[in-house]
Order: sequence, then C-alpha cells, then structure tokens
Amino acid sequence: MTVSAEKPTMPEKPTMIEFKDVQKYYGDYHALRGITATIKAGEFFSLLGPSGCGKTTLLRTIAGFEGISSGAVLIDGKSMAEVPPNLRPTNMVFQSYAIFPHLTVEQNVGFGLRKDPRSVAEKQKAVDEALGMVGLKGYGKRAAHALSGGQRQRVALARALILKPKVLLLDEPLSALDKKIREQMQMELIKLQREVGITFVLVTHDQEEALVMSDRIAVMFEGEIAQLADPETLYRKPANRKVAEFIGTMNFLPASIVSEDTGKITVDAEGFGRIEINATQVSKANPGDGPSVGFRPETLTLLFDGQTASDRESTATVSEVVYYGDMTYYDVKLAGSDTPLRLSMRNTPGRPVLDIGAPTRVAWSAGAMVLFR
Amino acid sequence: MKFPVLRVYTVLYLIFLYAPIALLPVFAFNSSKVIAFPLAGFSTRWFAEMLNDDLLFRAAKATLIIAVSSSILATCLGVLAARASTRFRFPGKGGVMGLIMLPMILPDIIVAMSLLVVLLAMGVNLSLLTVILGHVLICTPFSVAILTSAFQSLDNSLEEAAYDLGETPLSTFRLVILPLVMPGIVSSLLICFTISIDEYVIASFLGGNQTVLSVYIFGQFRFPAKVPAMLALGTILVALSIALLTIAEYFRRRGIAKTGAKDTGGFL
Repeated sequence: MTVSAEKPTMPEKPTMIEFKDVQKYYGDYHALRGITATIKAGEFFSLLGPSGCGKTTLLRTIAGFEGISSGAVLIDGKSMAEVPPNLRPTNMVFQSYAIFPHLTVEQNVGFGLRKDPRSVAEKQKAVDEALGMVGLKGYGKRAAHALSGGQRQRVALARALILKPKVLLLDEPLSALDKKIREQMQMELIKLQREVGITFVLVTHDQEEALVMSDRIAVMFEGEIAQLADPETLYRKPANRKVAEFIGTMNFLPASIVSEDTGKITVDAEGFGRIEINATQVSKANPGDGPSVGFRPETLTLLFDGQTASDRESTATVSEVVYYGDMTYYDVKLAGSDTPLRLSMRNTPGRPVLDIGAPTRVAWSAGAMVLFR
Repeated sequence: MKFPVLRVYTVLYLIFLYAPIALLPVFAFNSSKVIAFPLAGFSTRWFAEMLNDDLLFRAAKATLIIAVSSSILATCLGVLAARASTRFRFPGKGGVMGLIMLPMILPDIIVAMSLLVVLLAMGVNLSLLTVILGHVLICTPFSVAILTSAFQSLDNSLEEAAYDLGETPLSTFRLVILPLVMPGIVSSLLICFTISIDEYVIASFLGGNQTVLSVYIFGQFRFPAKVPAMLALGTILVALSIALLTIAEYFRRRGIAKTGAKDTGGFL
C-alpha cells in the first residue's frame, strides 16, 4: 500500500496490455463503454467494481472468451482480434477454479503441457516445480476433487503459471474462500507475483483486497473506468464521489464555497465552520449535488481528558459505537450538525470505550480533506 | 395395535411386481410340460430344447444387432442434441427440443404405422435396418433426457479452462467433456439397449421376414409345447439383465468415486 514512495525511482515499465476504446454490446446492453487503458509489464493490476460493472467482461476480452464490438485489445503490442483463447499468451484462474475433477493434481497442473515437445521426465520436473511454487509439494498423485478450496486455488494457479504466460488473469479467485485463508492467499499471491514477475490482472469486487494486493487499480462503474490509479491515490484522492464511497469509508459534510484563491479554496462546512482546502484536493461531486467536503475516518481523532488538538478541535456527541477488539469505530455528531461521522480509534490499554450519547471532543485537520464539487 | 396399511400395501405391491418373474425359473426347471403346480420334478431339458432351436438363435442375433446399433446411434444423436441444448442458444430451440422429445410419449403403434407407410411408399425393403431406424427414433428422446442432465451438471469454466490451456475446441471435448459425461453415456446406452431389446410393435411392423426375439417369443406361445422352452429363455434373459445392471451400477459408482461428484442415484 505504501510503495508509491519508491515508484518514481523505478524505470518506466513497458506496456503489456492495451485497451483502445473497447466497446462491448450484448444486444442492446452496453457492457463496456469505451475502455481505454494500459497495463504495464510485471504489474499487479486490479479491476475493481460492483457486480455488473463490466470488470469480468473486460478480463474475458483479454483471455479471448468475449469478443469485442469495436476497439482493440493488444497484448505485448499485438492485436488479439483474430487470436482464439488457446493461442493467446494468457492463462486464467477461474472463479470456480475449474479443476478437472477426473484427473489427479499433477495431471491437472500438467494439462497445458500436452503439446509441449519436452520429454516426459522434463515435464514431470516442471509439474513438481510448479506444485512446489504454490506449496503443494507431494500432492501430485492426489485426486483433484478431494482437495480443499484453498488447495484447489493453488492447483489452478500452478496449472496456469506452468505455461509461463505473459499475463495471468485472475477472476475473483479468492471470493469462495474463508476470511482467514483469503487473507493468507492474498499475501501468497503478492509474493508469487513478485517472484515470477508475470503481469497479474485481478478482478475483484472487494476494495480491501484490491488495495492490499495491487500496484494499480482501475475502478469501474457501469462499463466505464471511473479512476485508474495506485491504491494510495485512490484512497486519498478519489476522482469522484462514487469512487470515494466505493473505496473504504468516507464521511461527507455539506459545504458552501466562500472564496477561491490560487492554491486554496475556502469553504464553510457544516459543523466545522470555515476551512481552507488545497486546490489539488478537489474531486467531482455526483451530478446535481451541491459541494461537500469528504474525509476518511482516521482524519478525526477523539480527544480524551487532558489531550489537546495539534490543529483544530470541535465538540461532538457519540451516536454509535462499534467495538472490533483492536479498534473501535465511533459515529459522532459535531455540534451544529446532524450528520453522523465515522471515526476509528485504536484501543490502547487504559483508554475507555465511550458510550452512546457521551459528549466528547474531536481533533481534526483540513489537510487531508477533499472538496467534492 | 393399528393395522399397518402402508406396510401391507408395500408388500403386496412388490409381490405383484416380482412374483411372476420369480415363477419363470421355477417352471423353467420343472420337468412337466404343464405350467401348473404341483411341480413334477427338476429338469434342464427345456434349456437343452431351447439351445437346439435355430430360429431362436437367428431371432436373438437379429435382436442383438438391432439393440447394439440403435443404442449406439441414439446415444450419438443424444450427445449432439444434449450438447446443443445445454451449451448454445439458437432460434426456435424450445420447439426443436420439444419435437425431439415427442416420440417418448407418442404411441409406438403410430410411429410404426407411419414409418411403415412411408418406407413402403419409398420402396425400401423391410429389414434389420428399418427396425434399427425405428428404434433409434424412439430411443433418442430417452438418450437426450439422460444426457441433458449429464451435460447440465458440467461447469462451463472447465471447458474454458481447457481452451485457455491451449486445447482446441475438439480436443477439449475429447479430453474434458467426454470423460465427465461418460456415466451419462453409459446410462444412455443401457436404457436404449433395454428399450430396443423388448420392443415389439415397431420390430414386428418393420422387421419384414426378419424375426426378432420379442416377436419370436410371442409367436411360440401359440404352441403349448413350446412354452417351457420360452420360460427357460426368459430365465436366461432375467439373469442377463441382473448381470448387466450390476455391471452398469459398478461403473457408475466407480465414475462417481473418481470425480467426487454427488451420487444422484443414477437411473435405477
């Protein structure tokens, strides 16, 4: 998540996948509305969006399972228009894993090597290596159908990676796993991607998963890319209110613009009073909506006895408490505002968990706030 | 105590179903010509008499040829139709599939009559081939019904995965789809084989001078002296049926164990 600091020092990566104004219609339904984007070689790229936004369709146009109505998809500089899935330099990990149930684990992993001219012994070595890579050493002779969900996931990965594709496509690969295994697999996938250096394109509807795993993320709504950026930019400066609401939690307060100077905009925000927002921190509001300021829960901090704010503080009332063990999420209402604001506090020893209705003080700073207009 | 109505009903029902079949071997091994109790004594002469009947062997051979060819042909057609109906969308699909399934409920006599009229009008000589045609017609709907459920339980992404891993659509069918629908294909072959073996109307209408087993057996019942030999034949057929079903069930269970699929009870 915090790799952006070292990004400028890295040499510019060559382009691996290029979408040029990709349009896709299913009858009257406009599934992809002019997708133009590039995915770089060796990148962990995610397509993120709610179900029905076209992210899976876009992934399947890379694999070749979906044709496109107009535009072009290029992989490594070559147009894929006439190339069927079996001849594309891509391999896919399916949402259902698509493990062949009538074959053993190693027959599954070696499935794509059937036409490989190498000797049987060499192929066996490649299969063993692939199994070792995904942590399934010694599982080769097992029946594929007897594996657990996480193991199937690994077999699907090994089966795709053994062919050394230029691009590995992952269609919601973790959505069928329990939370614990899912988080473990996220880490393993990141590690694996760094090891093999292959371009990974992941489809997910889970914003947290996308933030954790990706170098860059394309957020999609209704067949369009709403924002394409690295996770930190997406979180800190979402391009519009829809993206802001989809990624993480964001508080919004109605605001009115007082004056605009070069470099900063002065607004009156409900409950906060007059604040100045950096002119670079401006995003689009939903069409027809008035201006509002948006900020993440960690922008607000509760002040306990004796603490003082380093920047500004306001009085507030606790309206909801959600206890998570390591964290407590509070909804607070600022004096003079009826909008509940979500904030998160780390539960340190000795710090009380406040009750609903308790008066409190919150410290905040306008630095991280975004103006939606 | 309450009178166990349902239990008695079940027992009576099963007796009605299986007692006549159980009587076949009893009289087949009875030395008397008369089919009645008390039994006269143990004898295998009816089996010997049956085995010396050349016409019977000709009829059995004809039946076997018809049953094997029509079950294979119907199953091939069934694979194509089931694949088309589960995997593709095309205009008029509902109507086409409905018409394919229609012979299942169409009385055989209608199929037999209409085929006979058409074949005679076309100047086709009645032979084993014409019976096979008729049997393929009535077996195909059963095959389609069995195979459609087999194809429906296939995850589409298995096919895509094979395609993605470098196989052509044809080799994907051979390497992935065919092995996974094999239990359905075996079921279809067996059902069609059974339907064809005991089919009477079409076989007698379209067989010409080629007599099949069912027609031959019915013909022999006109002669009381021949009846015990037919009971001996019936006994052998029952034994063969049980053997066949046992083998089929063995392969079905083995297939299920191999792919870890859920046991849906098969066709039995």
